[in-house]
Amino acid sequence: MSTLTKAIDQARTEGRTALTEIESKRVLAEAGIPVVETELATTAEDSVEIADKAGYPVVMKIVSPDITHKSDVGGVKVGIGSADEVRAAFKEITDAARKAQASATISGVAVQKMAPQGTEVIVGMSKDPQFGPVLMFGLGGVLVEVLKDVSFRIVPIERRDAREMIEEIKAFPVLQGVRGGEPADLGALEELLLKLSAFVEANPQVAELDLNPVFAYKDGALAVDARIVVSGDE
Amino acid sequence: MASPELIKRLDRALNPETVVVVGDKKAMGYMWLNAMKTFGGKLYSVQIDPNEIPGIEELGVTNLKSLAEVPEPIDYVLCAVPRPVAARIVADCAAAKVGGVALFTSGFAETETEDGIAAQEQVTQIARDGDLLLIGPNCMGIYNRRLGVRHSGDQEAGTPGNVGFIGQSGTHTINFSLVGAVHGIKCSKTVSFGNAVILDAPDYIDYFAQDAETEVIALYIEGAKDGRRLMDSIKAATKVKPVVVWKGGTTAAGSRAVYSHTASLASDQAVWDAAMKQAGAIQTANLDETIDVVKALVHIKPATGKRMGLIAMTGGQSVVITDAFEREGLDVPLLTDTSYEKLGEFFNIIGGSYRNPLDAGGTIGMGFVPGNLEKLFDILEEDANVDAVALEISGTFIARRMKAFPQMMDSMVDVLARQREKSAKPFLAIAHPSHVEDTMAEIRGRLLGRGVATFTSFQAAARAVAKAGEYWLRRAD
Repeated sequence: MSTLTKAIDQARTEGRTALTEIESKRVLAEAGIPVVETELATTAEDSVEIADKAGYPVVMKIVSPDITHKSDVGGVKVGIGSADEVRAAFKEITDAARKAQASATISGVAVQKMAPQGTEVIVGMSKDPQFGPVLMFGLGGVLVEVLKDVSFRIVPIERRDAREMIEEIKAFPVLQGVRGGEPADLGALEELLLKLSAFVEANPQVAELDLNPVFAYKDGALAVDARIVVSGDE
Repeated sequence: MASPELIKRLDRALNPETVVVVGDKKAMGYMWLNAMKTFGGKLYSVQIDPNEIPGIEELGVTNLKSLAEVPEPIDYVLCAVPRPVAARIVADCAAAKVGGVALFTSGFAETETEDGIAAQEQVTQIARDGDLLLIGPNCMGIYNRRLGVRHSGDQEAGTPGNVGFIGQSGTHTINFSLVGAVHGIKCSKTVSFGNAVILDAPDYIDYFAQDAETEVIALYIEGAKDGRRLMDSIKAATKVKPVVVWKGGTTAAGSRAVYSHTASLASDQAVWDAAMKQAGAIQTANLDETIDVVKALVHIKPATGKRMGLIAMTGGQSVVITDAFEREGLDVPLLTDTSYEKLGEFFNIIGGSYRNPLDAGGTIGMGFVPGNLEKLFDILEEDANVDAVALEISGTFIARRMKAFPQMMDSMVDVLARQREKSAKPFLAIAHPSHVEDTMAEIRGRLLGRGVATFTSFQAAARAVAKAGEYWLRRAD
């Protein structure tokens, strides 16, 4: 049974259509898409163990099927530099989440190595009633929904489509490196789009997907957060 | 993709030797039989109403009581009967194994009534069971210019064309052929496909893609039943010939639940635009733009670059022609030193300049000194910085005189037509509307008749050149 099938089964058992961040990342990693490895800690000691293994600094986020906007409830902490801080953060995050939303089921806290900052891009997929699965690419960050500087292509895509998707956005010069900024590894972004296209084509149960943000580096690209929504029906 | 067998069957229906019009009548001015007057093959009418038959016979058309009485194999039927009779005629078509039938009959699903939908389902089922090629319903059927099979009495006939038009709307399909003809566009064949119950847009695209006579495909469409199939057909076609897609209407975004950023950003229009781009189609927004782009594709040589050499008649127009081309993403570069040396020898710089655009009214006497105009053409032809050449024809300064001295117009048309023939570079002219508009219309018509792409505004020209160029450059990439 594939990681995706297992995750979907688990989600359906719990009456969810959204996979958790940890499930989503495992599924994508299996498909060859570069994601930050993320583990679930159910206790403070767990989280220290994971952080020690991943290496500091780490990022910790609340994991709850009932909480979508993690930072709004104080459920996200970044740049945690030591085991003691991890232990404290575990308590603070779970307390804050409970306080903000008493009824929420809390599965634990996701712990991941803090990826070095890169140029933020968003990559995603949704389904169009006329054309089926559609990939999206754009510059990430808080303004993406306002500026709508994104491009789309219908799955499956070819390398040329991937290249055109990247070059088409208005902010493309940012990826080429403006004002002394480092140029992003466009080949790695193309590769990510192509792998995502193949993944989506092979897995029609995936209804929507966001990799937001993906950090684009001089060498390579890495999805820092991921979210997969599966179709509700069998 | 349409099977080779379907292509073969479509080819029969679209190139008929025997045509039957069912249900034409006086109240419609016998529009179908009159439109088919230009058809050189065998034409029959089927009409059972005794009041209508004498009028049909007066047109010199043999009228029969049923399709079964037609002595030859029937390649194409145009059916104009009222809706209650349509199912019977469609069944007769299937029984007679006709090549194809177009249902002009309307009142089906487009009415969004229970009756209409049920009638459409019935007709569809009969066609499907009888393995019948049904065009429409609610359509104008086919126009084959070479054979004179028409859906409007004003359409040109008897000579071949090279543009295939496929239209969800009958009006737009007819308009494209009629207005296009004024702009030097000759249709090979057009199909108005209406409600598309059996044959749909992708089938016609697949057909036109392999049709040797069709060099450019243009399409008016309001949506796709199967977006992926439409995309696949367009993508396959654009590998061999340009496809222009004019999309009408916007599909109402369904109120589906959306969980992701991606889904909230993926508007129907954004996805459609992406799909068309991915398939290599050229998108247009209306009839004018469609005609301009097709004109550019048919009459201007394929683009090899984006650098324009521009010739305008005055300083003011030099500025504005540059604005128009640059706004559409084209470049207006400096010329080579060699060109400037050559221009320096004869260019009249009093009230003119020759950086690019060439402000050349004084030098070429607004087009009345052909020797100098040809020199300018030759210099731009050899200039390595220039990929394409556009010339302004100024009605303000020439229309009155050309009206008075027709030989001047002859001479100008000759110079431009020769330039179009001998130049290896894309070449076009812009003849704006003027205060002597009949003369301008004549100039445009004559130039287009000689294959010189002539546009009515800088903006229209620039947009058409940019859109056609994008296709050629992407295809070569």
